[in-house]
Amino acid sequence: MLSRRTLFAAAASGIAATAVSRTALANLPDPVYSPGPKTAPPPQPSSGRPFNPVVTLNGWSAPWRMNGDWKEFHLVAEPVVRELAPGMKANLWGYNGSSPGPTIEAVEGDKVRLFVTNKLPEHTTIHWHGQLLPSGMDGVGGLSQPHIKPGETYVYEFQLRKSGTFMYHPHADEMVQMAMGLMGMFIVHPRDPNQYRVDRDFVFLMSAYDIDPGAATPKVAEMLNFNLWTWNSRVFPGIDSLPVRLGDRVRIRFGNLTMTNHPIHLHGYHFSVTGTDGGWVPPSARWPEVTIDAPVGAMRAFEFDADAPGDWAFHCHKSHHTMNAMGHDVPTMIGVDHRGMTKRLVSLIPDYMTMGERGMADMGEMEMPLPDNTLPMMSGSGPFGPLEMGGMFTVVKVREGLARGDYRDPGWYRNPPGTVAYKLNASSINAAPQPPKPTHNH
Amino acid sequence: MSAKITLRRVTASVALVALLAACASPVANGAFDEVADTTEQRIGKRPLWIKSEQEEQTVREALDRLLAKPLTADDAVQVALLNNRRLQAGFAELGIGAADLTSSWRPANPGFTYGRLRGGGETEIERAVTLDALSLLVLPISAGIESRRYERTKLNTATEVLSLAARTQRAWYEAVAAEQIAKYAVDVREAADAQAELARRMKQVGNFSMLAYAREQLFYADTTARVAKARMAATAARERLGRLMGLWGRDMAFKLPERLPDIPKQPRDIENIEAKAIAERLDVRMAKANAEATRKANGLTQATRFVNVLETGLMRNSETGNKDKTGYEISIEVPIFDFGDAKATKAENLYMQSVNLLADTAINARSAAREAYTGYRTAYDLAQHYAFHIIPLRQKVSEEMVLRYNGMLISTFELLADARDQIADVSAALEAQRDFWIADTDLTFVTIAPVDASGSPSSLGMVAARSGAAGH
Repeated sequence: MLSRRTLFAAAASGIAATAVSRTALANLPDPVYSPGPKTAPPPQPSSGRPFNPVVTLNGWSAPWRMNGDWKEFHLVAEPVVRELAPGMKANLWGYNGSSPGPTIEAVEGDKVRLFVTNKLPEHTTIHWHGQLLPSGMDGVGGLSQPHIKPGETYVYEFQLRKSGTFMYHPHADEMVQMAMGLMGMFIVHPRDPNQYRVDRDFVFLMSAYDIDPGAATPKVAEMLNFNLWTWNSRVFPGIDSLPVRLGDRVRIRFGNLTMTNHPIHLHGYHFSVTGTDGGWVPPSARWPEVTIDAPVGAMRAFEFDADAPGDWAFHCHKSHHTMNAMGHDVPTMIGVDHRGMTKRLVSLIPDYMTMGERGMADMGEMEMPLPDNTLPMMSGSGPFGPLEMGGMFTVVKVREGLARGDYRDPGWYRNPPGTVAYKLNASSINAAPQPPKPTHNH
Repeated sequence: MSAKITLRRVTASVALVALLAACASPVANGAFDEVADTTEQRIGKRPLWIKSEQEEQTVREALDRLLAKPLTADDAVQVALLNNRRLQAGFAELGIGAADLTSSWRPANPGFTYGRLRGGGETEIERAVTLDALSLLVLPISAGIESRRYERTKLNTATEVLSLAARTQRAWYEAVAAEQIAKYAVDVREAADAQAELARRMKQVGNFSMLAYAREQLFYADTTARVAKARMAATAARERLGRLMGLWGRDMAFKLPERLPDIPKQPRDIENIEAKAIAERLDVRMAKANAEATRKANGLTQATRFVNVLETGLMRNSETGNKDKTGYEISIEVPIFDFGDAKATKAENLYMQSVNLLADTAINARSAAREAYTGYRTAYDLAQHYAFHIIPLRQKVSEEMVLRYNGMLISTFELLADARDQIADVSAALEAQRDFWIADTDLTFVTIAPVDASGSPSSLGMVAARSGAAGH
């Protein structure tokens, strides 16, 4: 006779999800796997209480099934391969096929049942970061529950008491497991869909990896000297842009599971900080900002009315975090006379080429062979040339006339005549300035 | 200065040798031809015994021809066989041996005895001419012994020729490798120099601290010392080769190829290398001949019972006495009765000694052959390992370093440091290649003659051949 426990054991022991029939695992919702690295447009909730879904940057939200008044999700912790940007893949640990795992969305007051299956080579747990719940559901291995051994499935059950922005991540060998990318967002929507209603609600999680150029697996022992700073385990130019319809109320929420703080900066707007780890900031207590620092292990949300069309840079203000892999022991070559040196060096190192004598911007333009599976240090280009950015950078694209649920990339902004910085010509000194036409073609 | 003196001495001794050789010319020439044939059969090259101006001229022309272009290993061996003065001195042994041999064919000179008796106011003087009958009796025996001794001299000379060939061949590989390594050391210094210069400019514009600057300069200074050492090693190796080839003066400007030959695609597989060594090696042949001679001598001893033909010295010193009635008497005991059995026992033991020495020589030859083959295979595998694994990996490392440099992940200085590391590996690979060719040389010679690792003959040199008594 099969008990539920033995069923779970069978499910996890390698006969596993795909091989075991659905009827045999009738007690367990099928885990749903990642649709790919691009941003998935949010579907409206098909069951349970209504809510306005979030858009997970380069990610997606976990489907659920209703079981009585329980909303059931199934997370499978397992090794995954995540494309950090076109041209580079990382061997990470994730949930349901990606790192970070799917965003869990539910509504204040929901009773959630979360099945967690461990397909990692070591034990794990999940801690529901920020949630108010019974101590035994808090997911701290050894403290609040036994560790989930490889092959085992555990069930977490609790009621969501407050709406806001939360995260989930392991609380077992967490240094390694978070360095490997095990994490996800947990959004609890207000019971009233119109409370704090916005038109576009973006979420992402920040994580950092130290991957040796040419390798694919992060070094888990790194503490601070990471070389890939990611949003949802993606780096620019692999991070999708944030398309916004002109006039939309926009919310952007993020969590920080790296080991340092990130001053997140949006160009073109003054926004209001509307959410912290503890929930919503009352409107009277909100403060205007252009940069909001997300401390380690914290979540933040800000909102703005998208009244200024254009392509607006949105990035971490720590400049090393917008570079991608770079050498940290590279001496500064600026201003060093290289005359005669290149020739001598080429005789010893045939492929040698002088770089850095003027700065590092050359890197944004030059296309030189790199180690396998390595992204150029600064890359991505815009309508006016190289962007010289990588890592935690993307663009908020505010456009007129986008459809309500349309999250497709609208292309580069067409600046109205006279609204782009222009080059001063000798002939234009005495004449009225004549701005050049934009060179882009959108 | 000292070279000149040495040369004069050598020339003087050569002249003396020539004189001696001329005395016993027909025999010695035949012996030299045998030595030359032995050498040619085994290594495909003939030595030349310079005894006339014309021959000297021939050698000079051959040298000019060989030294005109970069010397191959074969050329070097040929030059040494023609031009090494010690070898020429060794050929004189053949002449000296020939003289000994010739005199052994002749009976001993007659003796002259003088006696004086005095008594009763009378003095009697007795004179006698004696002819050594015993020496006549043993003449064929002593001639046989001398000719075996001469055989030994020939084998020794051939060993010396082959040993010189082996040493020269090894020295050639060492010299070529040392020059190549020195050249790489210069490349390292070039890398270090560029690095030091770049560091100087970095310092100049304020991008490098004194510490970083000093470290780079220190490295350059260090490589300069290494170049000096490598060059010294190259010079020493070249001098060694030059000495073996008997070169001096402007001939020392001989050219060597820029690189060692590639290692062969397949290693040599020598079947029955031990059997080959037993059959071919000159020391084994010599020990065999010695045992044979001792065996024959043993038979003779049993027949005559009083002549010890195993010790030529004793035979030569044999004398006869004469009788005397009244005066003083010179009495010499002839060991006819007492020594018979003892002599037979001694002869048997001498024979067994030679047999055991033969066995020992054979065991050593087998062992040397096995060792040489193992050394050869190991050297081959190592050289292959360097050529097909380490060097390609090193190149891969360098390529990847450039890729990292391209991504600004590492600096120019790290690239240069890698270039230095690469050269260290290239030097090690060169050494492995050199060691292979030296092992190859050893393997070639191990079945021919007893040539030990340092390249000198392991058992019998010229001096031993000259003074050695039979039975040893």
